[in-house]
Amino acid sequence: MTIWLHILAIALLASLGGALWRVWRGPSQADRMMAAQLIGTGGVAVLMVLAALQDWTLLAVAFALATLAALAAVGFVKSESPDGAGDPEEAPPATELRGTVQDRTRNG
Amino acid sequence: MHRALLLGGAWLTLTGAEALVLGVLVTGLSVWLSLRLLPAKHPLALWRLAQHLPRFLAGSVSGGVDVARRAFSSDMRLNPGWLEISSDLPDGARVALGGELSLMPGTLSAGSEDGKLLVHVLDTSAGFDSAIPREVEDIAAIIGQTPKVRP
Amino acid sequence: MADIATYLLTGLGLVFFIAGTVGLIRFPDQFSRLHALTKGDNLGLGFIALGVAFQTDTWAQVAMLVLIWGLALLAAGTVAPLVARAALTESRKP
Repeated sequence: MTIWLHILAIALLASLGGALWRVWRGPSQADRMMAAQLIGTGGVAVLMVLAALQDWTLLAVAFALATLAALAAVGFVKSESPDGAGDPEEAPPATELRGTVQDRTRNG
Repeated sequence: MHRALLLGGAWLTLTGAEALVLGVLVTGLSVWLSLRLLPAKHPLALWRLAQHLPRFLAGSVSGGVDVARRAFSSDMRLNPGWLEISSDLPDGARVALGGELSLMPGTLSAGSEDGKLLVHVLDTSAGFDSAIPREVEDIAAIIGQTPKVRP
Repeated sequence: MADIATYLLTGLGLVFFIAGTVGLIRFPDQFSRLHALTKGDNLGLGFIALGVAFQTDTWAQVAMLVLIWGLALLAAGTVAPLVARAALTESRKP
């Protein structure tokens, strides 16, 4: 069991390497943020596995990392939005949307 | 109060059973703070929320399976597009719907504009949008309403 | 018995994690990539948490795993629309 859990932790870390590639390439800031989120969730998973291997108190570290990853994403969104509010519910410049987003259909 | 149950449960999980007196204090304080920051507007039916849980879990499992199949298949079969959903849900519930749809197969919300929810779909020809009205009904039931979906 | 469940569930979780990463690398546009990330990863985390839960000594540890996963799921559901909106705002910029 310990061997498998070690392999698992290494494989999870390797998959996070792919996310790092996306951070490097971008192209958009949002892409980089998504990759950072993936590293957050992946880190939580690695910590869970390590908790089973070594010490269950590592679960508290995993909890803190999950919280911080969520807050980091919120911080990013706030810094990206023009007025610093980052609220997806606020009234936007709606007219520009039709031009940039293609094949947008109206139904539901 | 539901919030006291949730926050107290979180405290118990985090600390174990040793710090009960402090736990009661902290739970009381955080419930007060949470009500102060976000006053309860709709009666939240916790048992309906629990009722909704199996469907939510099943949805997120099939969502993950769907996205994994696409990621591993050679042509990915992506045909992304946008939808606008209008519903009678109040603002907060619409945000909850957006979050929920983001975990369901093939749909991803991007906030709302003029009271309409913007939803991105992975494959416009796969019929992901047919599941949306059901989600709207479920969210409405959780806050004790029966709205209609306007396509 | 518990070990077999852990092998199966954590293995499954790893598959979904890799799927999330592959999707993040392969999918052509940022919104599709966000789909892969949100759905694949959280399912992967869920399976890994479930698999690890079979190795715990006390129920408090299981509760902690459930709490972490619940938090991650809530956070993913909340953050995905926020990031999608930020990406939309960004792509609208000239």
